[in-house]
Amino acid sequence: MSATDLKAAEFKATEFKDGLIREIPNLRAFAASLSGSMQLADDLVQDTLLKAWGNSEKFEPGTSLRAWLFTILRNTYYSLYRKRGREVQDSEGTYAERMATHGNQESHLDLADFRKALAKLPEEQREVLIMVGATGLSYEEAAEICGVAIGTIKSRVNRARTKLAELLSIGSVDDLGPDRTSAAAMQRIGSETV
Amino acid sequence: MTNMDAAMSDPGASDNDDLDMVLDPKVQESIGRSLKAHYDDIVSAPVPDKFLVLLAQLEATEQRAAGASSDERN
Repeated sequence: MSATDLKAAEFKATEFKDGLIREIPNLRAFAASLSGSMQLADDLVQDTLLKAWGNSEKFEPGTSLRAWLFTILRNTYYSLYRKRGREVQDSEGTYAERMATHGNQESHLDLADFRKALAKLPEEQREVLIMVGATGLSYEEAAEICGVAIGTIKSRVNRARTKLAELLSIGSVDDLGPDRTSAAAMQRIGSETV
Repeated sequence: MTNMDAAMSDPGASDNDDLDMVLDPKVQESIGRSLKAHYDDIVSAPVPDKFLVLLAQLEATEQRAAGASSDERN
């Protein structure tokens, strides 16, 4: 390897490393959403970083690093962590019950309730809801990551939202508060309001 | 427009019209906000040092390996 090649390789490695560092917060949030445990999430992120580093030549520059990393993380979760996740939740409860929240303390209670409901969704619905609803990934990227058709992603997202609304009892006048009473009424009428 | 909104107005999303109609837009919006709150709460949490240490070690190992192979040639 010539000195120039060496410099180029170093630059490439540094650029890739910086990309990984930028994605760590998103990887942790996605891993926690999948596994229901912050501790498992961090183990999962560590495995993902190691695999990504070892397979860096397989990443195509110009494509979404986040989508690529999510694919690795998700595969690692389903092949190695899923069972452990259930065991941890059985013995310690979900992270929703234990996790400290950062930032907006006002929404603390709402957030804890939401996380409990989220943890009750089937995995296949929860992962796509997180991907398209929170991570900034497109339906196309989510479909590619999960290896299913876009229509399947849309269907899962819809079912996930419906199930969440049911679990959170959104729609009852009490839960929505006075300013959202009309929303509850509209929901009861259903498709006529659309 | 968010991805969620896009799905609702996508004419191609015909396989789930029955489900598309179930949720009121305000309920959807409320779920969307909670999703972001859940996710962003973790995203904004401090990143444990161990990840940065790990990546620095991987990078150092690779540079040593590259340096060694370069030395062999020269």
